Amino acid sequence: MKTNRTISILFFLLLVMMPLDFYLIFKVAPTERIMGDVQRIFYLHVSLASGAFLAFTCTFVSSILFLWKKNLIWDSAASASAETGLLFATLVLITGSLWARPIWNVWWTWDPRLLTVLILWFIYVGYFLLRGGIADRFKKAQYSAVIGIIGYIDIPVIRYATKWWKSIHPLLTREGGGLNPVMKNVMFFSLTTFLVLTVFLFLFRFRLARIEERLQKLKKLTED
Amino acid sequence: MKFMGSAIAILRKDILLELRGKESLSLMLFLSLLLLVIFNFALDTGKENVSSLASGILWVVFTFSGILGMGRTSMAERDEDAYLSIVFSPASAESFYIGKVLSNLLFLVIMEIFTLLFFAVLYDFEKIISMLPQLLPGLLLGTLGFSLVGTLFSFLTTASRYGEVLLPFLYLPVVVPIILGGVSSMDIILNAKAGGAGKWIQIMAVFDILYFAVSLLLFRYIIEE
Amino acid sequence: MNIIELRGVRKQYHAKTALSGIDMYVRQGECITLFGPNGAGKTTLLKIISGIMSPTEGKVLYNDKPYSESDIKKDAFYLGHRTSLYNALTVMENMDFIRRLFSLDRRWQVEDILRGHGLWERRNDPVNELSQGMKRRLALAKGFIMNPKIFILDEPFTGLDHRWRSAVLAKIKDIKKQGKSVLISTHLVEEGHRLADRVAFLHRGKFLFIKDREEVDTGEIYGLFDSMGEAAR
Repeated sequence: MKTNRTISILFFLLLVMMPLDFYLIFKVAPTERIMGDVQRIFYLHVSLASGAFLAFTCTFVSSILFLWKKNLIWDSAASASAETGLLFATLVLITGSLWARPIWNVWWTWDPRLLTVLILWFIYVGYFLLRGGIADRFKKAQYSAVIGIIGYIDIPVIRYATKWWKSIHPLLTREGGGLNPVMKNVMFFSLTTFLVLTVFLFLFRFRLARIEERLQKLKKLTED
Repeated sequence: MKFMGSAIAILRKDILLELRGKESLSLMLFLSLLLLVIFNFALDTGKENVSSLASGILWVVFTFSGILGMGRTSMAERDEDAYLSIVFSPASAESFYIGKVLSNLLFLVIMEIFTLLFFAVLYDFEKIISMLPQLLPGLLLGTLGFSLVGTLFSFLTTASRYGEVLLPFLYLPVVVPIILGGVSSMDIILNAKAGGAGKWIQIMAVFDILYFAVSLLLFRYIIEE
Repeated sequence: MNIIELRGVRKQYHAKTALSGIDMYVRQGECITLFGPNGAGKTTLLKIISGIMSPTEGKVLYNDKPYSESDIKKDAFYLGHRTSLYNALTVMENMDFIRRLFSLDRRWQVEDILRGHGLWERRNDPVNELSQGMKRRLALAKGFIMNPKIFILDEPFTGLDHRWRSAVLAKIKDIKKQGKSVLISTHLVEEGHRLADRVAFLHRGKFLFIKDREEVDTGEIYGLFDSMGEAAR
């Protein structure tokens, strides 16, 4: 029941950190000179993206461990983190779009980073489509682990290819300059908060998956 | 060379299967033709535009006909659990994979040759044939990438209850680098644009090496039940 | 010597337990017949023994080695409900493919095997033009090119008429005589019992018994099937 305690601790930690993070973003961080208040989305956007990346990394590692150890606990970990990652990736796309509208005057921009997140988003939606299509518990784990690995190693290639693609069709807009020290600190705090949130959501989903599995087993025992 | 022996046996069997059953290649060719006609309605493919649209149209056709064909060849293995006779043989999972990659590659190449011919005729664009030698490296590396990923994924998705329908959802996002590379390198060469097709060839080569190595390791996990 | 050993095997599908608490072994050269009503887990058990399916829990060992380190892939011939044939290819081409996979040069033997299974005249016909019974026979015939150490046959008599049933029965006896192990599942009480060295009865994913043939008579097995038919209602 160590996970339970960790989840509680993280929950209370977030209860403090989340409001503080929003306070810092909206009240403490200075308004950016050129972009104005909209720039504040940036703190959330980057933090969410880092959270998503952390979660997908966890899916990748858990998938390898599953294929190696053949223990379903690793599959629960892989799917729990893929879920967290998918949620965050969705929010990254939404915040990116909200940001692009006032700054670049478009809802969507084919920025290499956004594009990479979008393609990742597709890959992990596919991951869950596949999981939904396989009834056998073990087979489901095995096949989705293959996607968890293949999808992840695609990230650097996609990132590089889209960047190169964009360098031929240059973007008309560029991001604003550097951050001042206060902005940097707020950014750092926001990043930390969202990484804690990632771990919290992951553990929460992971525990749920374990409970579901145990429930199935108990059901079996009463049947037998 | 026992390893290659099994792979060749699988390739040989797939060619025979195609000659007897005519199930995937003919459908691929037909879809290619159909898509080219549809593109003619959808886009303004006049004399002055065709050169700049060619690479985009061609690679979209390659991609979708490829998905159709690779889905079909995997279904042929899943029908009657035919692939089990390969599983219960001295052929390793790796040679199984390589055999299927080779046969998919062969069918894709044939489909692409015909698609290029159809394109040259339908769009009155003979240049695409005369420039084939320069286009060849990009075409081959891209097609190899399609086959490497498609072989793994089509075999994986046909095991799910959605069957081959699921294939594009998993396959398309993963091959984005190949599609970008294929379209861009062909466009650069056809229209003598600046930007270096060589870089794209490199990216596709890296993709191929990476996916060859990883798929070779992972294929055995999807032929177990 | 035990060529295959199962310890505490359990198999779980999404919400259904197909097998639980399975302990068994297979000795070199013996024939085990699995009886049991539909859905008892016979197919799952045979798939797990053959190694194409992994158990949810428990161990399967081949000559004391796990699947990945064993030669079971080469040593086993598995014939499931499906024929594992390429329907568009001819009889000969199917056989030829197997021969090439095993890198064997036994053309003459292929002829012998096909004649022995009454398929030689149809050698140039595509499989999908054969009758159901012929397909089953061809599927079994493949096993003879491979020359495996163990035959795992899931319902090998389905779709065969009386004449071919006895022919297949004779074939399986031949296999046994050559010192190979055979595992079959079947509903045919007489035939299955006659072949077996040991008889097992599977019900709801568990063994009701697994014992020597002499200890079980056919009447008992008929009785069990009957009682389950009633219970099913």
